[in-house]
Order: sequence, then C-alpha cells, then structure tokens
Amino acid sequence: MKLVVGIVKPFKLDEVKEALREIGVAGLTTTEVEGFGRQRGHTEVYRGAEYQVDFVPKVKVEVLCGDDQADGIVDAITKAARTGKIGDGKIWVTQVEEVLRIRTGERGADAV
Amino acid sequence: MSEGPTPSEMAKRPEQVARLLDRLRALNLAYSPGHHGRWSAARRAGLFDVCLRELFAEGDPPAGVAMVALGGHGRGELAPLSDIDLLILHPGDRPAEVAAVAEKILYPLWDAGFAVGHAVRTVPECTAVAVERLDAATAMLDGRVLTGDEAVWREAHASVLRLVRDEPWAFAGRLLADAHERHGRFGSVSHLIEPDVKEGAGGLRDVCSLGWLAAAVADPGGPEGLEAEGLLGAAERQALDAAQEFLVRVRSALHLATGRATDRLYLDQQAEIAHSLGFADEPGLRAVDGLMRALSEHARQVEHVVANAFNRFLEGGSQPEVVPSPEGVLRAFASLARERGVMSPATLDLIDAVELPAPVEWTEGVCEAFLEILRAGEEGVRALEAMDRIGVLERFLPEWAPIRCRPQRDPYHRYTVDMHLLQALGGMARLLGDAERDDPLAVEAAGLVSDGDALLLGALLHDIGKTGEGNHVPASARVAAEALDRMGLPEPTRELAAFMVAQHLLLPDTATRRDIGDEDLVLDVAAKVGVPERLAALYLLAVADAGATGPLAWTPWRAALVRELVTKVQRVLERGDMGTETAEQLAERVRTLRQLLATEEPGEVDRFLLRMPRSYVLTVPPDEIAAHVPLVRKPIGASEVRTISGQGSREGTFELTVVAADRPGLLSWIAGAFTLAGLSILSAKVFTTEDGVAVDVFEVEGLFERDVGEERWRDFRSTLRKAMEGRLRLAHGVAEKRKRYPAPRDEFPIEVAVHNDASDFFSVVEVGTTDRIGLLFEVTRTLQELRLDVRLAKVATYGSRVVDAFYVRDELGRKVEEAQRIDEIEGALRARLEGLSAAPGAPPALAPSAS
Repeated sequence: MKLVVGIVKPFKLDEVKEALREIGVAGLTTTEVEGFGRQRGHTEVYRGAEYQVDFVPKVKVEVLCGDDQADGIVDAITKAARTGKIGDGKIWVTQVEEVLRIRTGERGADAV
Repeated sequence: MSEGPTPSEMAKRPEQVARLLDRLRALNLAYSPGHHGRWSAARRAGLFDVCLRELFAEGDPPAGVAMVALGGHGRGELAPLSDIDLLILHPGDRPAEVAAVAEKILYPLWDAGFAVGHAVRTVPECTAVAVERLDAATAMLDGRVLTGDEAVWREAHASVLRLVRDEPWAFAGRLLADAHERHGRFGSVSHLIEPDVKEGAGGLRDVCSLGWLAAAVADPGGPEGLEAEGLLGAAERQALDAAQEFLVRVRSALHLATGRATDRLYLDQQAEIAHSLGFADEPGLRAVDGLMRALSEHARQVEHVVANAFNRFLEGGSQPEVVPSPEGVLRAFASLARERGVMSPATLDLIDAVELPAPVEWTEGVCEAFLEILRAGEEGVRALEAMDRIGVLERFLPEWAPIRCRPQRDPYHRYTVDMHLLQALGGMARLLGDAERDDPLAVEAAGLVSDGDALLLGALLHDIGKTGEGNHVPASARVAAEALDRMGLPEPTRELAAFMVAQHLLLPDTATRRDIGDEDLVLDVAAKVGVPERLAALYLLAVADAGATGPLAWTPWRAALVRELVTKVQRVLERGDMGTETAEQLAERVRTLRQLLATEEPGEVDRFLLRMPRSYVLTVPPDEIAAHVPLVRKPIGASEVRTISGQGSREGTFELTVVAADRPGLLSWIAGAFTLAGLSILSAKVFTTEDGVAVDVFEVEGLFERDVGEERWRDFRSTLRKAMEGRLRLAHGVAEKRKRYPAPRDEFPIEVAVHNDASDFFSVVEVGTTDRIGLLFEVTRTLQELRLDVRLAKVATYGSRVVDAFYVRDELGRKVEEAQRIDEIEGALRARLEGLSAAPGAPPALAPSAS
C-alpha cells in the first residue's frame, strides 16, 4: 500500500479531484496548507501598506492506494495540476505499513 | 425511556415503585412524544411525589425529619429522564436512623434504574453548603417539601433565601458568572447546529436563572415578581413562557426518542424530533430547519429577556424619550445604543403602543435614525437585536422576516442567517473604526472608504436573500436592492451598498477557486469592481463576512489568497489598465463585435472571445477583430502561416496580421522574415490565445518602395515558413542584407532597462537605440536566447531612433526580479546592440521614417 501526497495550487483542486475520480479513486483527503518551495514568499503592497507573505497557500491532497495504483494517481494529479508556471507543486509517494478501516476493522489492502 | 423491568425483578420490587413505573410508562404513552410540555413534566413530578411519600412513610422516620425535592423536581418540572434530586433534612441527633430511612427510599429507586441524587443535611449544613456552592443554593431555592417535618424545611429554605436576599447584587453577579462559564462550555442553543437545550445559552437553565434572580430580588419571586419590580416587561414574560414550554417539549421528546437522559440535540435525531413536534417540510424550509428555526427563535428570546432582566437589575433600565412615531421609535433605539443601555419595561410598553405600519414608510428622519443605529457598531447590533426581539425590526425592514433564525447547514456557518448578518455588521463597524490594526490591508482599505454608511448597509444586507431557495447571491442582490430603494438613501450610498451585496463573493470565490496568476482574470475582476473604493469595500466585506461566519472561514490561508488578489486588482486600477471606463469600453467593443459578426453563430463568437486575451479585445479595433475570427477559427498546423493584410494607420503603411502556432522564437522569426521581405516594422502587438496560437498584428511599410502587394506577403509567408521549418538561417540572411546598406548617420546611445513596476504579471524590457535593418529581429532573437517569453511588444520609431518595450516572462511564467538575472538580460541585449553598431549596415536614407 502506498500514500500519494500532492501539494497543488488551490484553484487546481477541483480538476485534481475530477481527474482522480475518473481513474476510479474512491476516497481522498484534502487540507489547506501553507508553505514555500522554490516559489518563496514575497512582499505584497496595497496602497503603500506592505505586508510579507512568508508562506504560499496550497492544497494538500492525500490518497491511500494499492501498490499498483500509485503511478496512475501520480499521473492524474500531475496532468490536472500542471500549469507550467512556478508553484505548481510537488507529489511524493510513501510506503504505508498498515491501514485499518475503523468501522469494520478490516486491515491491509481490504481497508484501502 | 428506561427499560421495563423483567418479571423476576418485578417480584422483588416494592409495589410503590412498580406502580410508579407503570404510571410513568402510561404518562409517556398518553401523549405523542412531541407533546410532553410543562403539564406533563408537572404530572411526572407528581407521580414521583406519591411514590416518594409512600417510601418515606414506610421507612418510619424519626421526628424532625423532612424530605425535600430539589431542582427541577422541586419546581415540578421533570422531563422523562430527568434526574431526581432529594434532600433529607434532619435535626442531627440520630444520624444512623436517618441514614436507614434514606436507604429505604433510595435503593428501590436505584434498583429500578432511576438516577437519584441525594443529600442528607441539617439546617446549618444547608446554609453552609449554600454559601459555598452556587448550584446547591439554587437547587434549594427551587426546593419543595414532599413530606415529613415542614417546619424544619421552612427554616432551611428561609436561611438560604436570607443569604441571597442579603446581597442580591453579589448573588446576581454569581449567577451571571456561572451562566457565562456554562455558555462557554455548552455553546448557544440559538447558534449551534447541535445545541444543548438545557445547558446552552438560551436553554432551560437560563430560564431557571431568572427564577433564582426573582427569588433574590422580588417577594414573591417568579416572573410576576420580576415584572412587579420593573425588571421584566409583560411581553417579555409571555415570550419567556412560550419559550420555556417549547424547550421542555423538545427536551422531553429528545429523552423519549433516545431513551437516554441527553440534552444535546444531535443532527441524526433532529428529523425525528421535528416530526414529533409537528414540523413538516415547507417550500424552502425543511421540517428539521423549521424545528431548528423555532428552537433558535425561542432560545434567543430566553437569552435576550434573561440578559435584559439581569442588566436592568444590575445597571438600571434606560428610559429614552419615545416620540410616538416610527422615527421616534428608531431614535429611542439609537439613543439606547449610544448609552449602551437596556430598555426599561416601561419604555418597551411605550414603544409597543406606537403604531407602526407594516412596512413603515422611510422618511428622511427614519433613514437617518436607522443609519445612526448602524454607526453605533457593536452597540448598534445590540439595539437591532432588541428591535428584532420585540418584532419592530421587520416593520422597518420586512425583508428581515424570511431570514430570521434561519439555520445554515454547511460546515462553515455557525450562525443563523440573521445572526450572521448582525455579526457582519458589527465586524464591519470594527473594521471602519480603528479596533483592528493587525490587518494593514484592512486599515488602508478603511482609509480609502469615504462612504461608511454604504459599507454598514452592505454588511447588514449581504445575505438578505438567503432563504434557502436558489443561488443566494443574486437573490440577495434583488432583495437588498428593493430594501435600499425604499430607504431613500443618497444615490452613491445606495449604489455602493447594492454593489457590495451583488458582488460579496467576488473576491473570496475568485481568490480561492481561480488562478490569480492569470492577468486576464485579474483584469476581469478589476472590470467588475471599476474603482479602488469599491475594491476596498469588497475586501472589508469579505473580512467582516468571514469573521461572522465562523473560525473556519477566515484562515490565514484564505486571507493570503484574497489579499493577493486585492493587491493585484488595486494596481491594475491604479495604473488605469482596467477600471470603470476601460470596462465600459471593453463591453462596448464586445457589443460592436457581436453586431459585426451577426451572421456568425453566437456560440462561435463566445468561443472566440474566450480564447483571446482581454488586451487583444481592448487594443485591436472591432472591425479588425471581426476579420481575424475566420483566421483563428480552424486548428493551425505546426508550420502553417496565415496572414491578412489591410491599410495601415497612414498613407503608405500596412497592417499585417500573422497567425501561427506559438512557440519560443516565433516573434524573432517573424521580424526576420519581414526584414528579408524588405519590410520595416513600425509597431507590433503580440497576442497568444488560450490554446497557444499566436495572433500578432504588425504595422509595416516597405523599406524601399511604398507599394506592397500580395506578392510581397506571399514572399513573407514562405520565408517565415522556411524559418519555422529550420530550412533557412534568418540570422545569416538578415546580417547579409544589413551589410549592403550604409550605417545610419545619427547614432543614438544604447539604452537597455528592465522595469518591474508596470505590471504584476510581466517584466518590461525597454530598449532604445538607433534604427537599423533587422533591429527588431536582433532584439527578439536575443530575448529568445535568454529564454524570455514575449507577450506584448510596443515598437515606436522616432525618426531614426527606436524605443521598443517588451512585456516578458521567464520560462516558468515569472516576472524577472532577481538582480543577477536582470543584469544578464541587460548585458546580453547591450552586447548584441553594440555588435550591430560596430558592424556596417543601416536603413537607407531614402526610407520613409515613422515620425
């Protein structure tokens, strides 16, 4: 089992959701997150008032899946979230040791 | 409901308790679960009384012992699964015997599954515990002797009463502090989607607290006593009475439905409770929402009336003058807001006597008084709440009625619609004042606003059409427009407030759901907003709205996105790239274009407009755009070149539109192909469609002869195609061509600069130098080598001096902001231009100049 984590631009969330739905992903978790990568923060100015934006708002998408699905999910997120501009985000995949569905007590692949 | 006893338990059970269980069961079944109000609660208490008296008598108590029902049982209000709270009073000389009596009473009840709390005390112990613990004191204030020595109870009760009556202010203060702490823990009945009808703010415990206040300050106590003391109005007492009955019914229905002594109305029980209380689905209001609406309504009355009574006792009621007219009523509330007071019951009666037509006609005075209330901020909100509770607000604002107490079922909203609007109004008043200095943007925005009234009205009305039907934004815009029209406001105020309501989601929705790095999107928002004051108004409303929604709505995450959008739109407005005039111009151009393309299918025109950048529609004249439509419509091949030519801006110049699949370097190839075709470029406007097709409009003239015909365009197209296919080295061709002509006579200094303040989306590379053959080719080629994407080029020729400006972004779509990179760009361009002036070749003296 794997956990696919994607950090994407907020306005891309709907497209990512839709792309994942199309390849049959049944469940995902999203979180509003802030951070910075190469894009860094920046200073905004409004009528002379300056304020520092240290962290850029992004959305984190997490999908738990079987080993064979991870590539497809990575592809789908990449295609949907890509604008070609700075700040498109990142995706990483980690190995998951154990999964348990709380309601039924199912474990492992059954619980994904 | 508690489970019925099994037959074997029945055998052991004392008959009094078995009878009690039977009778309770019968009582529970006697009415439908939604109709167990206070009568049923009193009856239930009576059934317990009978059983307890029998058990007490059987225990054969010694003299001087009394059994007292405390709390809810004492008041005669027992919900189906309420706890029983008993006090055994005794003289203190025979504790063992008293303990035995208590056991005889309690064990059978415990065995039968009743939750019975008990205390065994002497009179001095009662006094001591009442001093120490507020809940013990209030439980005894509600106490009622069931049986035994009544004199000993009278003594105990009198001592507790003395305690609270000796220092009624301190007692009232303790009650308030306790309520405050309780409300913090359980939340509010009127706001929460899963309220606790007993302990929450506006719940049954608050009703009780009024009884305790009455015991301390009035003789006799009770609501009537408070009314006699001038602490409670007659209408308030009635509202409280109705609320209490409703709350008891809900709580009882909840006990019966769940079989548990729970007082929190969870979502999954609401449908059943709604049904049992007789609520049915109505258009725009489901039965559950009807229940929650009624519950909220009653709970708010409880909160309001209880707070009024306490405040009148602790601070004294306000008695502002009431001129008997609609304006007079508003003035009274305005002065209440100024004084931060609570209406005295006498004043409420005066207001009640004023005839208020429904709806009230808005005179200038009414309008001014209403605005005065709004301007009072937090206190104004309290005044509006007070007006709402006595039904006065909707006389002035009939639009208020449909949203009163209307629950909002989404994860963000904590409050009912009307509560949310009042909170937003309070938030807006704070933003316009100087309370919130932690948001520099809000401070600046507030400074930009000259019409605070409009902002207060916009905040108050922004969700006024949220009645559960359809999209609430247009509905609110419509309803607010009607209300604002009636108010007789100055036109700019009316207009700004109406605009705010209609666009109140523009900033948050755009910022969180759209790509704010897209210039056209920002231009569109700027076009909708038009002027900086409106932008400031929308930002402040977004903050106030979110703050009034709940803690989840205005997170730093959301704030960062909205602020970034605001700063971008503000700069677009400041620079005049877009604004009211430009927006009108844009709309006008689109209208003209539609007329010109009347024969086209309308959907075709829409699709075309969607593909084209706003700057294209704004800079290219509609008749030319109309000619471009067929050129752009069909998908274009990789090395296909389409052109269309027309007259230039003056005699001897031509306009050529070039359409090709966009790619890095295209602009430089076009420039090079022009040079080889013997054409000099006077101006260039470069656009790219959404789907990557370059639509570039050039004004050119012949380098040597004025007449340029179709043959030359064909020449140009074939040169460009060859360059695109890699079959022709333009750099070589252009250099060869340049060599054949003498250098220009005047030399101008080479000026190269990168500016970043002209746009949020592009850096502007400015190049000034002496005009030469193939100059634009050389510059754009250099930009391409620097991996810069040229979005817009402005080419201007002054005699033999050229000043070109290129709007560029780097390969990742960013502006160029690092000093090192800027140096690199300036250096590369300078080097290339210096190389040109060192080499021979320039336009011939014969060539017509653009000046």
